[in-house]
Amino acid sequence: MRLADVQFSSRENAVVARLSGEIDLSNAQHISAALLEATPNTSLALVLDLTDVTYLDSAGIQMIYRLREGVRARAQTLRLVVPADSPTNDTLRLAGVAQHVQTIGTVDEALSELT
Amino acid sequence: METESLGREPQRREPRAGQTVLAPAAAELAPSGQVGSLHRLSDPALSELGLEDFLDELLVRVRDALAVDTVAILLLDEESQQLVARAAKGVEEEVEQEVRIPIGQGFAGRIAAERVAIFIADVDHADILNPILREKGIRSLLGVPLIVEGDLIGVLHVGSLKPRTFGERDLALLQVAAARAAPGIERARLFSALEHEHRVAMALQRSLLPKQLPDIVGVEAAARYLPASDEVGGDWYDVFELGRGRVGIAIGDVVGHGVGAAALMGQLRTALHAFASEGHGPGRTLELVDRYVNTMPQYAMATASYCVLEPETGVLRVASAGHMPPIIVANGSTRVVSIEPAPPLGAFPYASSQETETSLRSGEILVLYTDGLVERRRISLSDSIEALLAAVSGATSAERACQLAFENMVGLESLRDDVAIVALKNCEVPELLELRLLAEPRVLADIRRMLRRWLRARGAGDQETSDMTLAVSEACANAIEHAYSPAPAKFNLRASAQAREVTIVVSDAGDWRSPRGQDRGRGLAIIDTVMDEVQVSSSELGTEVSMRRTLGR
Repeated sequence: MRLADVQFSSRENAVVARLSGEIDLSNAQHISAALLEATPNTSLALVLDLTDVTYLDSAGIQMIYRLREGVRARAQTLRLVVPADSPTNDTLRLAGVAQHVQTIGTVDEALSELT
Repeated sequence: METESLGREPQRREPRAGQTVLAPAAAELAPSGQVGSLHRLSDPALSELGLEDFLDELLVRVRDALAVDTVAILLLDEESQQLVARAAKGVEEEVEQEVRIPIGQGFAGRIAAERVAIFIADVDHADILNPILREKGIRSLLGVPLIVEGDLIGVLHVGSLKPRTFGERDLALLQVAAARAAPGIERARLFSALEHEHRVAMALQRSLLPKQLPDIVGVEAAARYLPASDEVGGDWYDVFELGRGRVGIAIGDVVGHGVGAAALMGQLRTALHAFASEGHGPGRTLELVDRYVNTMPQYAMATASYCVLEPETGVLRVASAGHMPPIIVANGSTRVVSIEPAPPLGAFPYASSQETETSLRSGEILVLYTDGLVERRRISLSDSIEALLAAVSGATSAERACQLAFENMVGLESLRDDVAIVALKNCEVPELLELRLLAEPRVLADIRRMLRRWLRARGAGDQETSDMTLAVSEACANAIEHAYSPAPAKFNLRASAQAREVTIVVSDAGDWRSPRGQDRGRGLAIIDTVMDEVQVSSSELGTEVSMRRTLGR
């Protein structure tokens, strides 16, 4: 098993990418490249589900910013699914960026917001 | 040209230039003194010389007995139906050039095809195929077929540099030599083939076993393999990193011996590793390997055990397909891991494999082995396993466990079966953690795992552990990103604790670059928030980030 893995599923107008494992300097760039690659132009949004991510650091935060810019350039939106009691939420809080990064608790909520 | 026929039963055969077909001579015609040295050619002990040495011995004796200048042996290559020069005296070029004569053609070819002795009085006027015979200046030739139990295996011929007539006594002598030598050649040939197969199987087995066990953070692995005395079996072992802090350890034993078993072992080892890498647990992994074995067209069966250890938590999952139960060495005592083994791989379609969960705590050693280690004549299996438990109980390292098992269990008696053993220790967490690491991003995950274990051992709570691990990983990422040197750069991590106060220092030989842009700033913000105190000192020697936090604050 790799340090992190990603599973894609297509929904109406959106791609849901479910990340699992650990995201750090060793894989953050590869993952953001893979995610942008897998999001077709026809999609309205990329829903990034970080529920199963067990570790994410500043390289992961940078990945989120990079993704946000990437989808924005294609007039798409990025929705981040980050449960309140997750390691990812801790990192966002400790880095002091929680107020700049909009997150949502579940994939269903993220998808219903899009319609 | 004239065709002569010597002997008592002249046979009518198609005449060929310069060749004289001879009827078999009576053996008693051979001079008894000369026959003596030839008799020993059928000595079974000679066949153990190996084919090359046996042929060499044979040629010298024949040359001396017949007082000839050249002797050569051509052996039948069944596939091509050609005679291939295998050994020679006086005409060594034949062998060097690997002269090939089609059956039925020329001098030797006709001897083989018609299974007759042929005499050539004058090479210049005869139908011979091999130019080397002429080039060497051979004048006269005499050749006989080599036959074993009715099968032609080759041709033996002698030559003279002076014109010579080979009489009935010469023919009888050569026939005796051929009759004595042929079974020996066949035995030696078989022996060589077997030995060759043994060497191939051995090389295959060795190449399919891990050359070196991987260096995995937090564990220590060791293994031994010893082939059986006479045959190579299909034992294998493996240790691999599964990612996300888990380690796989496997052992197996293919039913059968030789090249086939070694090749199947290679397939099973690869299949198991591949399924395991997909993240399947031990039970499921063995089920998938079993399914794979059941799809093989040939008969294939093996026993195997596969375990997955999470060193951080000590959780050990064990599964077995008809294999010997693993044992665990813990602080001078030992125990057998009780598992419900599934049937051997390939035994039944749709077999399912149970998984047992146990623990391998810090300092404990898991030992897997094949039955060759414990199956002994006149000793019951349970007594033998007891002996193994006693033997390894004093081991404090994986290497020592393998060593003790071999010393005590592999005796002087020749091994009937091959023996494999592999051991994995879940290493103790030192009080002072001092690491020197390659400045590469991939080491970060290992650092985090080690640090988590270390922090927990110091009494840190879950949130403290994850927050501090995050902060230290950020400091290390900074050292890695800014490391530059002609050689692979390294950096150091040192973690120590005094009472509840934890100090972690990350130092490198590079310049501290003030964090550029927002990204590094975020990392530093994390370190500042998590730690009670952070000091960055930079000198010509490098940069040091010292972080302090009191646990349970």
